[in-house]
Amino acid sequence: MIEPDVAGADPLGDGDRIVLTFPARGDLVVLARLVASAISTRVGFDIEELEDLRLAVGELCLLALQGSDAWHGDLRLEFTVSAEALDISCTLGGAAPALGGRGDEGAEADQLSEQILAALVDAHGRVEEDGSVRAWLLKRRKGPLA
Amino acid sequence: MEQEFHIEERVDRGRPVISVTGEIDVATAPQLRECLHRVIARGQATVVLDLLGVTFLDSTALGVLVGALKRCRELGGELHVVVSDARIKKIFEITGLNTIFPIVSTPAEVGAP
Repeated sequence: MIEPDVAGADPLGDGDRIVLTFPARGDLVVLARLVASAISTRVGFDIEELEDLRLAVGELCLLALQGSDAWHGDLRLEFTVSAEALDISCTLGGAAPALGGRGDEGAEADQLSEQILAALVDAHGRVEEDGSVRAWLLKRRKGPLA
Repeated sequence: MEQEFHIEERVDRGRPVISVTGEIDVATAPQLRECLHRVIARGQATVVLDLLGVTFLDSTALGVLVGALKRCRELGGELHVVVSDARIKKIFEITGLNTIFPIVSTPAEVGAP
């Protein structure tokens, strides 16, 4: 269980941006979730929103990797804070192109991932551009900026 | 502090029970898949999957569970899932899997073979 700990932490506000880049490896996706938790606390999300965002950011990484059979390259996560929302994008750079289908289980997981994101965030999507893949999500605030 | 990922197998009233603790995600789901496949391959069509110690579950983990459920049902069995944590239950609910899996709150709620 992750408890919010705002004691001593400066809040993040409108215009703040945090970037995390790490090798596209499954065992490192936990880093994305940890950073998402820390940022959620600092932008004033409550515990339920924090847990939702932690799950959603993990799914965002999987969405960026969707269709890629091998874990190559880097994942670049960018968190942008605004007065109304938290915008997160995840870009997969330097990865080999998809080599084929992932089988029934992979397709099932992709569909479940889509359902999870649709339920937990206000908007999300995936764009292929300039040889890289970018997945993004938007989580609006319930209340005013912390 | 997050619990370390751990899988334990046991037999309860003649039925295989797989207990998992920690986070099941893209990094750890393959270990759960391998364990489920191994147990089902032994001819155990009905399996109890105890997720009471699980603190996080993602779509990769759910995909593994759905695959195992299909295998169990093909053999005429069932995959019972034990969940009590509200956050874990929520993931089953938002994906609609709570209507597909038999979900109970304790292993004892699964009937005898």
